[in-house]
Amino acid sequence: MNSQLKDLQKLLYRLITAPSGVAEGLGAERALPAGGLGALVEGDERLSAEARLEVYADMYFYRLLEVLKEDYPATSTVLGEANFHNLITAYLVEHRPCEPSVRGAGKCLPDFLRRHPLRAELPFVAELAMLERATAEVFCAPDTSLLEASQMNALRPKLWSAVKMRRIPASAVLRAQWGVVEVLRAVEEERDWKPPRRARNWILVWRSNSRVSYREIDSNQAAALTMLARTTGFAKVCEVLARGLPPDQAPQTIGDTFARWLAEGLITRALRGKRDRPRSLP
Amino acid sequence: MKRTAFPFLGFGVGLRRPHYAHILEQRPAMDWYEVISENFMVAGGRPLEVLAAVRDRHPLVLHGVSLSIGTTDPLNRKYLAELRTLAKRIEPAWISDHLCWTGVGGHNLHDLLPLPYTAEVVRHVARRIREVQDFLERPILLENVSSYLTFRDSTLSEWEFVRAVTEEADCGILLDINNIFVNAFNHRFSAEAYLDAIPVERVAQFHLAGHSDHGTHLLDTHDHPVCEEVWALYQHAVRRFGAVSTLIEWDDKIPEFDVLAETAQRARRICEATVGACMTGDELSAQRPAETAVSAHYRA
Repeated sequence: MNSQLKDLQKLLYRLITAPSGVAEGLGAERALPAGGLGALVEGDERLSAEARLEVYADMYFYRLLEVLKEDYPATSTVLGEANFHNLITAYLVEHRPCEPSVRGAGKCLPDFLRRHPLRAELPFVAELAMLERATAEVFCAPDTSLLEASQMNALRPKLWSAVKMRRIPASAVLRAQWGVVEVLRAVEEERDWKPPRRARNWILVWRSNSRVSYREIDSNQAAALTMLARTTGFAKVCEVLARGLPPDQAPQTIGDTFARWLAEGLITRALRGKRDRPRSLP
Repeated sequence: MKRTAFPFLGFGVGLRRPHYAHILEQRPAMDWYEVISENFMVAGGRPLEVLAAVRDRHPLVLHGVSLSIGTTDPLNRKYLAELRTLAKRIEPAWISDHLCWTGVGGHNLHDLLPLPYTAEVVRHVARRIREVQDFLERPILLENVSSYLTFRDSTLSEWEFVRAVTEEADCGILLDINNIFVNAFNHRFSAEAYLDAIPVERVAQFHLAGHSDHGTHLLDTHDHPVCEEVWALYQHAVRRFGAVSTLIEWDDKIPEFDVLAETAQRARRICEATVGACMTGDELSAQRPAETAVSAHYRA
């Protein structure tokens, strides 16, 4: 019986997800019984068997289109309704949802856009999607305890260099070739967006007090925060933040940067091995 | 499994994002909330904070959409493990999902598709429900789904299928009154006859929702008020099943919270007019020492 039910479910799956609709899917089917779909599904004068299955096909596509529009509001705004519709039609052929949560449906869209012809017209759009995806992932990334400024201040300065730390899990450092931060900000603030400048930049995305923020950061911060994806000593962090700075400016810049990170809730105390237990400060 | 395994929670609404701030800040009176399980199967952040804050003050029910109990794929153990973790975290009053399949071959349609109503499918689904109940270490409720097609192979009516599956699996029933109304139109059967064939002792929850009329068929869109015909069917259900925990679903074009709260109050008035006074959420909580203990444990 299972094989019969399995064949039925696989057939319905293929027909519901056929990119141009159930009729096209039926045309491509070689496994239909004599009598076609009508031999499996009842139809009547109100709705044929094909029309009944088309109800599911429409719901499949339009539900996912709506979800992806919500997940990528700026990308869909920049592309426009028709382009986004066609993009998602093609995307769902290549990236069929397979996770229990619909949150996972759009996770490959940034990579898909990197290879899509729309990129010729809007070369920044894949990076805009990458930024939106990062904000979604950071939104529900694991919680963690924060390293507080007061904990650092309680230490004698000569002990600071030995403090082990890392970046919170609810954060990401992105490298971009286009100034997409301003595009996303404009769409979120319901302002007119302008095509961004082309210039290499780094973007920090992080969650603090349940709110996801993002901003451009300089190359030293990007290098230090990338390194802080793993447990790192404060001395090493300082060394990276000081790169290229005149020696008389370095302490002030490092101090300001690190104070800002702590205030923004970006840094956690280092965890101990697999058990993820906070390690005591030295 | 008897209905007594599931407490009477009163009249609640689905917890949806547009109402988070209102619920957390204004603390409106509400007997209980139902959440979509998958929306909270996350590592951290705002969703779990909201869930914890609401659970601190109200009974919660986990209602899933991706169990896919009727698929021919193996049960998704990773999904079940995440569901069990979430359940341990929030101690829901119960866990429910749908009597349907949602995908095959490792893919998810994110929709609730009907099954052929046959004795073989009854056995297939019932065996899987028992596995799920064993894994979750609790009985679950399964909901009748709205549908737009039926299979020629079916040898049972939908209500015979619901009854047979839930009796063979020994699980509870979440009876969606709107889905019965929608299916009665779409497949031309008597909604009242459907209700009258469902075993009273297995029904632990009702759903009420709105649908949209497409002329040739009704679509279960959850974007309209509950229509008068569904209210009448609800009254019929209350006469048959008595006071059953009732939940208002509204998932699209979601109105102000007060509209949902008033809809829940209308369900309460119908129930009280039919079977007598029902306790409010506060009164129910006061009568539930076990629930208080769970809540205290949860807070700890």
